[in-house]
Amino acid sequence: MTSCIYFCDNKGKTILSRRYRDDIPPSAIEKFPSLLLEAEHESSIIPPCLTHNGIQYLFIQHNDIYILTMSSSLSVNVAQVFSFLYKLVDVLAEYVKAVEEESIRDNFVIIYELLDEMMDYGVPQITETKMLKQYITQKSFKLIKSAKKSKNVVRPPSELTKSVSWRPEGIVYKKNEAFLDVVESINMLISANGQVLRSEILGKVKVKSHLSGMPDLKLGLNDKGIFTSGDSGSKAEANPSKKANIELEDLKFHQCVRLSKFENEKIITFIPPDGDFELMNYRLSLPIKPLIWCDTKIQVHSQSRIEIHCRAKAQIKKKSTANNVEILIPVPEDADSPKFRYSHGSLKYVPEKSAILWRIKSFNGGKEYSFAAQLGLPSMTDADVPRVKRPIQVKFQIPYFTTSGIQVRYLKVHEPKLQYQSYPWVRYITESGDDYTIRTA
Amino acid sequence: MSDQRIFSRYKASEIRAELHQGNLKKHRASAAKRKNALKKIVANLTMGFRSEMALLFPDVLKFWQIDDNLEVKRICHHYLVAMASTKAEHFQNALPLVLSDFNAGSEQLQILALRTLAAVPVEVYVEECRKLVLTIINKSSESEKLKKAALYAALKLIQYENTQAASLLGVLHKVLRNYKEKPTIRANALYVLHEVQETTNALQMLSLDFDTCMDMLELLPKLNEWDSARVLDSLTVSYVPQTHSDAHFFIEKTVPQLQHTNTSVILNAFKFVIYLTNYVEFLTESLVKQLSGSMVSLLNKPPELEFLVLRNIILLLLGRDKPLLKVDISYFFVEFNDPIYIKDTKLEILYLLAKEDNLLQILQEFKEYATDIDIQMSRKAIRAVGNLTVKLEQSADECVNLLLELLDFEAEYIVQEIVSVFKNVLRRYPEKHKLCLKKLVRFTDWVQEPESRGSMIWIITQYHHHLPNYLELFRSFSDNFLDEVLEVQFSILGSAVRLFTRNPTPTTEKLCVEILKSATEKVDNPDLRDRAFVYWRLLSAAQQSQNSSLGMDTVREIIDGALPPIAMNTQLDPQIVEELELNIGTIASIYLKPVNQVFRLNKPKCLTASPALNANRDSFEVVFKGSQSTSSSLTGDSSQFNNRRQSSSPVKKMDDYDIPAETVNTLKDKRKNSSPNMHLSRKPSMLARKLSLRKPFA
Repeated sequence: MTSCIYFCDNKGKTILSRRYRDDIPPSAIEKFPSLLLEAEHESSIIPPCLTHNGIQYLFIQHNDIYILTMSSSLSVNVAQVFSFLYKLVDVLAEYVKAVEEESIRDNFVIIYELLDEMMDYGVPQITETKMLKQYITQKSFKLIKSAKKSKNVVRPPSELTKSVSWRPEGIVYKKNEAFLDVVESINMLISANGQVLRSEILGKVKVKSHLSGMPDLKLGLNDKGIFTSGDSGSKAEANPSKKANIELEDLKFHQCVRLSKFENEKIITFIPPDGDFELMNYRLSLPIKPLIWCDTKIQVHSQSRIEIHCRAKAQIKKKSTANNVEILIPVPEDADSPKFRYSHGSLKYVPEKSAILWRIKSFNGGKEYSFAAQLGLPSMTDADVPRVKRPIQVKFQIPYFTTSGIQVRYLKVHEPKLQYQSYPWVRYITESGDDYTIRTA
Repeated sequence: MSDQRIFSRYKASEIRAELHQGNLKKHRASAAKRKNALKKIVANLTMGFRSEMALLFPDVLKFWQIDDNLEVKRICHHYLVAMASTKAEHFQNALPLVLSDFNAGSEQLQILALRTLAAVPVEVYVEECRKLVLTIINKSSESEKLKKAALYAALKLIQYENTQAASLLGVLHKVLRNYKEKPTIRANALYVLHEVQETTNALQMLSLDFDTCMDMLELLPKLNEWDSARVLDSLTVSYVPQTHSDAHFFIEKTVPQLQHTNTSVILNAFKFVIYLTNYVEFLTESLVKQLSGSMVSLLNKPPELEFLVLRNIILLLLGRDKPLLKVDISYFFVEFNDPIYIKDTKLEILYLLAKEDNLLQILQEFKEYATDIDIQMSRKAIRAVGNLTVKLEQSADECVNLLLELLDFEAEYIVQEIVSVFKNVLRRYPEKHKLCLKKLVRFTDWVQEPESRGSMIWIITQYHHHLPNYLELFRSFSDNFLDEVLEVQFSILGSAVRLFTRNPTPTTEKLCVEILKSATEKVDNPDLRDRAFVYWRLLSAAQQSQNSSLGMDTVREIIDGALPPIAMNTQLDPQIVEELELNIGTIASIYLKPVNQVFRLNKPKCLTASPALNANRDSFEVVFKGSQSTSSSLTGDSSQFNNRRQSSSPVKKMDDYDIPAETVNTLKDKRKNSSPNMHLSRKPSMLARKLSLRKPFA
């Protein structure tokens, strides 16, 4: 598929490269920095694919580096390329912690090894870190001849053990535990007059598995409408009045989940990979009330001052608490000398973001807080500067609570050979997603 | 080790010295030193000093034998592969070393050696590699990894030269059908066969029967994510359903894969399902919902992937009269933090989704964007509103009102854009001038850019009888005729002549002659000069010979004839859509261009004929389970015909599927993309389809 992988610094100069196919001249990479510059001229952010001379440059950005692949064919599967590049970053992070220019230079031998294992002839292969660790070790080691081979002989044929490609055999833990984290992020777009333009819940179930052997897990969730789905079509038929906001309930599972079993019997069963992984994610577009609503009035007295009145309300259950609430309210770039009046939290002016940041450590459900602020504006202004409209951004976390009401009923662990006792742990949290914004008038 | 030392340029002799210095003392420290020297070689290769490093070939070979360290071996193999293009004679000496590595017994070394053999296009290597590949694949006891490496080596060998490919292909087919073989191996064999067919001129098309396809889908749960994605990719086009029920069966089988986390698996599954829908007579409502849902949930992936998904959504929306996706527009509202390229694409989708019933909401959004910080974005939003006005006849008033409202912002770039857009609006709805003419003319002094100036000149000329001070307005442009860019000069020239023919008074005559004079005497551009001469001759011919055939009316007809009406074309050529839909998830789907147009060596994909293939891609209908009605399918057909008729009539089309928010006026080069390029080498089924559609209006 892809012809090569390059790691480039933030100017587009090569740090490390691995070529898988010979259909692209080695000189093609030299064009990359100037292509980047050109694209940057056109618009401030560069699209992730560029074409030059019949060669496709596909890349992602991570920290201070570009990870780039090239292909000479238009039929290259971009979906695969991008998902692979992101996976590659994940895997490298396991080996070198922070994936950046320096760590790549320091570890280039290991990275070559990894690239060799993860891709063959430009086609992605194994990307599960635990599996890769079998083949690659951080330190170089003396080769022990045919040690692997003898192990192969002892091992029964793989069909019998039902081995799976994402889990090595022979894992042993003293204490067998599985940790489940149910995390829901809320994305919302609210217009200035309080109307919810868009809302969605992005949930994921993260698992950290510390289980021995080859356990077979079964996850039970409360079937509160959501997971009895599959008949969503018939539901829409039943109440056609709701057609404006159809709930799109789509689940995505980690590769270890038996999809056909889920499709037919609605049971989530899987043999987990070892360690951390994301078991499933789901999305709901329920119309929900803003959890943290803030009503802001901004009055601009041009050339003298700007006044901001803001009321924030936690529209959640009395028992719940929203932690680490951050409300970022934009102000004009040339504002100065802030004056604040507020009852709760801490308020400060952040000139580098041209905004006021209101932090409330813990915000109990049903409570309402407010503040008033006044900032000076310069008396001389450049009349041509267009009025900038930026939204208010809100961040928060609400522990022990899920907006959708999803609950884990049980997690059954069954290891046919070892038959051990195991302990599942579950945590819930709701937090703001990347886009929880309220537009300003 | 400090990276600084490794990543700097070295002379071959320096490294050589370091290598040999290490060799003298045979203890651990020197081994580490040697390794360091070898790393320097690799680093220098990365930095592109290939010819310098080529001098070290004999030294590398020497150390290959001494060290039994896997890391050293890796570096040596890497060196060999990097040198492959030089074809130095040293490769002969290296061959026994590579082979001895292969026979060393370690799985990892075997794989390494095999890959190196396949990567060096020297004849002996290729020959040796072929032998090894055949033995490895045929032996059932070999490990999975080694077999996989062998499969890819086979792919490389076939791509080098396909004279000897037959034997390898035979083996691959055997692996594919061998039920006892491991799932991963079979899946990869399928992929390799698929790749061979895609990239080489293999004589035989890869075609799978029902059982094999079934079998491969059964394997999916046992494969890792990348393998699953590849299987789904390879099955598209390779398997041709023979009956509707076969296609239904496989759609059902594939749908669970849409719940995978890996984007690449989802998109490939999606592609396979879309492909199969060409072979069914109806689709269930719940399937459409499932497809839409899985696409929408992909929008939460990292920006690059989101971009890809958005582009594919555009493709699916454009492709058919009744899109396979039913998505709520609110998913495509632009977020503050989105990168520009995503904002752009979302804008495009909103534009495509706009219908009478959701227009208010969309206009509201566009209004937001039009006052966005980003100037480009704001311009595009205005463009989109302008195009919407042209597209949706019944709601044109709302759109026009929004444009006028935006004019009040009095930001310079907004005015430019709105004025440019109004030219098309007024051409489409000449009677709408009452609403906007007064207001637009107020901004005559604002327009700066060639396009908006041209547009303003056109508007003034077209509606001069409604403007008492039109001459004064026109003067503001024509007075500095010589300083304008060519594009604007053309419109001034044309407009001056038109003003005169419409309203022959001494003032307009003077104006016209003035412009003609400057254009013929002071302008250097031959095109402009020639056009001015033509106008001049026409006018003087008409005035001199009152009795000849060329009267003033004829001249007016020539100069100021009725313009053809304009319409929006959001449809792609069905054939291109067909090809693009088979390329979901590829670069072609990002650019929305057929593969062979941009890159000729790629083979275009097309649907293979089978009894189950739908003649018309919109003929199937979406039904609720159990209840079928035929009415929708009929209306679908007739609209298709209407479309056809339009494209063959002189109605001027604006092919805006590419970038609806940009350059609607450049029609010529856009048109190329969608004009059906007739190749006679098309498959009979396709040709028949074309003919059957064209016939009623021939």
